[in-house]
Amino acid sequence: MKVLVAVKQVAVLGDEVEFTEDEREVDPDYLDFALNEWDSYATEEALRLVEAAGSGEVVVVTVGDEDAEDCMRRCLAMGADRGIRVEAVRTLDPIQVARALAEVVQSESPDLVFAGVQSSDSVQAATGGALAGLLDMPSVAVVTKIELGEGKATVNRELEGGLVDVVEVDTPAVITIQTGINEPRYATLRAIKQAEEKEIEVRQPGDLGPQAQRVRRMFVPPKGEGAEMLDGGAAEVAHRIQEIVQEKLA
Amino acid sequence: MSILIVAEHRRGKVRPITLEMVSAAKELGDETVVAVIAKDPATLADQVDVEGVREIVCVKVDPEGFENDVVREALEQLISDREPDVVLVGFSIDSMGFGPALAAKLGLGFASDVFALRRDGDDLVAERSFYGSKVNAELDFPNSERVLLMIRPTAWPPAEGEGAAISAELDVTISGSRARHVDFHEVAASEDVDITGADFLLSVGRGVGEKENLGQFEGLADKMGATLSVSRPLVDQGWMPSSRQVGQSGKTVKPKVYLALGISGAVQHLAGMKTSGTIIAINTDPEAAIFNVAHYGAVADLFEVAEELEKLY
Amino acid sequence: MTATRDTFAGLETWQIVLWYSLIVLSVAIFVYGVLRLLLKYRRGRGHEKFGNRRERAERVVRVVFTHAWIRRRDPMAGLGHLLVFYGFMVLFAGTVILAFQDDFANPVLSFDFWHGWFYKVYSLFLDVFGAALVVGLTYFAVKRGILRPFRLRYWRPAEPAEPLKDQPHRYEVGDWVFLGSLFFLALTGFLLESFRIAADNPGFEVWSPVGYAVGQGFRALGFDDGAAADARAVNWWVHGVFALFWVSSIPFTKAVHMLAGPAGVAAKDDRAGNRLAPLPAGAKAADVGYAFIDSLLPKHLLDLDACTKCGKCHAACPATATGYPLSPRDLVLDLREVAEGSMGNRAALGIEPTFPEHAQLIDTIKPETLWSCMQCMACVEICPVGIEHVPIINQMRRALVEKGDMDGQLQQTLETIYTCGNSFGETSRKRGRWTRDLDFDVKDIRKRPAEVLWFVGDYASFDPRNQKVSRSLAQILRRAGVDFGILYDGERTAGNDVRRVGEEGLYADLAEENVATISSCSFDRILTSDPHSFNTLKNEYPQFGGAWDVMHHSQLLLELIESGRLNVKKGLGYRVTYHDPCTLGRYNGVYDPPRQVLEALGAELVEMPRNRDNALCCGAGGGRIWMKELKGEDSPRPSELRIDEAVELGGIDYFVVACPKDVTMYEDAIKTSGHQGDIELRELSELVYESLALA
Repeated sequence: MKVLVAVKQVAVLGDEVEFTEDEREVDPDYLDFALNEWDSYATEEALRLVEAAGSGEVVVVTVGDEDAEDCMRRCLAMGADRGIRVEAVRTLDPIQVARALAEVVQSESPDLVFAGVQSSDSVQAATGGALAGLLDMPSVAVVTKIELGEGKATVNRELEGGLVDVVEVDTPAVITIQTGINEPRYATLRAIKQAEEKEIEVRQPGDLGPQAQRVRRMFVPPKGEGAEMLDGGAAEVAHRIQEIVQEKLA
Repeated sequence: MSILIVAEHRRGKVRPITLEMVSAAKELGDETVVAVIAKDPATLADQVDVEGVREIVCVKVDPEGFENDVVREALEQLISDREPDVVLVGFSIDSMGFGPALAAKLGLGFASDVFALRRDGDDLVAERSFYGSKVNAELDFPNSERVLLMIRPTAWPPAEGEGAAISAELDVTISGSRARHVDFHEVAASEDVDITGADFLLSVGRGVGEKENLGQFEGLADKMGATLSVSRPLVDQGWMPSSRQVGQSGKTVKPKVYLALGISGAVQHLAGMKTSGTIIAINTDPEAAIFNVAHYGAVADLFEVAEELEKLY
Repeated sequence: MTATRDTFAGLETWQIVLWYSLIVLSVAIFVYGVLRLLLKYRRGRGHEKFGNRRERAERVVRVVFTHAWIRRRDPMAGLGHLLVFYGFMVLFAGTVILAFQDDFANPVLSFDFWHGWFYKVYSLFLDVFGAALVVGLTYFAVKRGILRPFRLRYWRPAEPAEPLKDQPHRYEVGDWVFLGSLFFLALTGFLLESFRIAADNPGFEVWSPVGYAVGQGFRALGFDDGAAADARAVNWWVHGVFALFWVSSIPFTKAVHMLAGPAGVAAKDDRAGNRLAPLPAGAKAADVGYAFIDSLLPKHLLDLDACTKCGKCHAACPATATGYPLSPRDLVLDLREVAEGSMGNRAALGIEPTFPEHAQLIDTIKPETLWSCMQCMACVEICPVGIEHVPIINQMRRALVEKGDMDGQLQQTLETIYTCGNSFGETSRKRGRWTRDLDFDVKDIRKRPAEVLWFVGDYASFDPRNQKVSRSLAQILRRAGVDFGILYDGERTAGNDVRRVGEEGLYADLAEENVATISSCSFDRILTSDPHSFNTLKNEYPQFGGAWDVMHHSQLLLELIESGRLNVKKGLGYRVTYHDPCTLGRYNGVYDPPRQVLEALGAELVEMPRNRDNALCCGAGGGRIWMKELKGEDSPRPSELRIDEAVELGGIDYFVVACPKDVTMYEDAIKTSGHQGDIELRELSELVYESLALA
């Protein structure tokens, strides 16, 4: 049982922002970095499947610069066996990322490929699907439960409005993992430090193709369009809420 | 610009995003084709025949419900048959399977969660947000002749008005379905309340901090005559049943008043509540995205406001 | 007639031989039991170096002979124990003197000293102290049977684990048996003496006043001569055999505290709790914390035996008081059962409940129990036998953290601290934001040297209510002309509570980064208003190479006032009370400076009913502020209990605190306890700042 998990180091923006000079990106000084929340669920799910199978391997893969290895350390500390980083800049579009991942998947031939449904910084929800498209693999997006069978898996796909679609998918397959599928285990700092001894192989990407999208400019969205800000202390705010509710429900 | 829209449907009904995409397409051109890929597309075609649609293409496929491989193969053949400049699909769970897959395979320009569109000369400019909706970006697609865009639900109003679309059919060959629909089931089929029918929702999010605090807000909702709803993290934690969840993966709600306490406003949450009559948002983060859709907002501690409200009711 | 007596009067030779054989047997059993205890302690992990041996020796002598620790917070019980202790010791010493005389001095040296005046004084001493023993035992019987204080009841806030279900009942029986056996020993001793006096009636035995009086009583009742001599003979054996049996049972019963108690006092780390141990270098998952009974340090295994179930920790613990599923006493007792049943005398003798070798602690000690601890040190501080509950709990938490066995909120907080360097999930660049509302610039000490490096800490940096306090303190420092600077985004959370939660790896990471940052700055002293940061900076950062002069702001404020740099007037006529923060008070003994500052301001300080070393924790410590609520359903929070106490003092204007977490906890508790309007909260700096306006 071998599961490959695509993970991403996401950028978190505080409440202050400056843009780069060309206004096409946020000034990296204003960003903090962390493991994408969805990817910790995907890693946990991979670990659980391999643990249940009794033997196998969880390989985490990321596409990014050296800093992106931090997020992979976290996955390795959780118990993943090894990591692969494809050297790239942070700001690739999801389809280019999928191209970089596709090469790794081809060389590793895993039984399952997991990715988070989406990344919290760009919310494209596209990498997993694009990867399946490039490799012509079966895929299911937004999965909240996986039961493995022989050459196939039965999974729950979480649809809009609280509906669940039970899907039988042939494996190997690409599955994008939704939050809440499990409770990701905690990686202690001790384990993270020790994960530095685990191997992270760095690969150079092949042809990532043209950009599928280009940022013309980034900007702060016009604030609170139409939102009337209520001032004063909590008591005053509460009072105004009461008035508004009474008026609108009348 | 020629536009191909992939109609979304589930259990015999066209989903609202389809008509919203028709409105979106109007920003780009008037050659809008809607493709209905279904076992019995003719019965759905009527539902998409609205003003602004030039042609409806019925594509007959075998499976009853959505199956990713089937839609992907059908759409691929549709694209090579119609050669549209722009393909629009919903930013929905179904489309997350085939949309990016085709864009990658065919080398299309791509963007998802697009909430604004315009033409700038020959260029198509799409707008979407990054970094927790704190930053917006205009995107263009200089490297691609054809673009596939995933459209944010509720970003455009649904297209209305009598249509006069011509209808057509396209035969496609499907090589197989490797991810097959087995069954539907409702999670926690509204075991307690139906939040979609409520006039007044008091909605709480991550800001409540811990499960034990929820009781306080249940009590407050009771006092205020509101129904309690929650955002996704509280359901993920197992604190509340998913029947109470507002948002893309929960319920879409449209109460007269939506009072959001401690909800920052992830895109998926906003999609489920932003058409509410009046939205009041309380959050400690002045930059929280919820303030972008709210009619009234206050930067304040939700517990303090809740306590004050307790006193008033 | 020479004043003396014949120890073996009326005994046949074979009986004397039997007697000595019994002595040998008794001593052998005793030695066996003690050796097994020592072997048990050796099964613990790690070796401790007990430095400062002289100080330790002095301490144990002082503490044992003055009962300084036993007397605290219950002088009557201390007195009772003192009577029992000296009664027992003198009787024991008397027996040893007698044995020396009979078995060595007389036969070997032909030196017979046990007669005449020596015998008389000896008799008087033993008789009086024997009586003291009986009085002490009687007091304890009354205390246990009639007074039944909270601390001596085996009520538990949480059910014991399955194999230990009957334990509370056994303890009750065991306590009475122990008390009864001592009583029996004393009683048979006096009877023996009285029978002898009744039989022989020598006049010099008035030097044994109790025995003489009872003996005369016997005689008056006609119980004398032959009958009394026969009774004496029987009683001689009863008392003697029982005494030998009793001695041999010491290592196996509650009496073991006679050995383990003083040993615990001697071995106690006097900085236990305020300076926790780092992980061994290159520790693997299995090396982390106390997951198994044999993971405990030998000293901590010894602690388990030292416990007398006196319940002082049980009475002092804020978690126990508010229905959290933790009592430090029960925790120690449960661990003792595991240790004994797994690798102690009970395991060797196969007495139920036994536990497997290498017993896993999680099977007996529930995670909620460990997470209930506020690491406030109330238990360690009051323990009369030097038990180190707080480090033990901390080590057990480390094992839980290593397994990821913690509540989701805590896990999230730790992950937040890892990614953001603070528990608020804020970006570092916002750390210095609170200074923006000041009308002057605060120095970035990383760029420019200053006299004082102010380590602000998370709450004082990010929490809006505490930011106001920080600004007050900044204004005060400026007014006093203190040259200070802060680290801005270079500061990470100090990690005191991260360490107390048991995430040692993360703590080490935080400490190393802070030490590196601080070391690159130029300053004389470190100031912090956060007692948690204060503790770890002062006591624990030296482990990571950062040894500095660290001050709490209450100390600096006092210094500024006393030196006249800060000109305050005694103008604040408020009636105030003061809450001692655990990490400032019990952890570091800083009790007086905040009080002296209040006095200098002219405030009238009314002490809380529990103050200084006995102050009740606000409930935030040990990382509890990051965890879900575990308190009993009908219980108030510790902070609410505290506010209730303060309001009951009557007419208090301000509840004064000197800790940012206290500001948060008590602002909240004033509302949730329904005392809004009855009392208000002020941080010490706010009052000082207010008084500056008067000057």
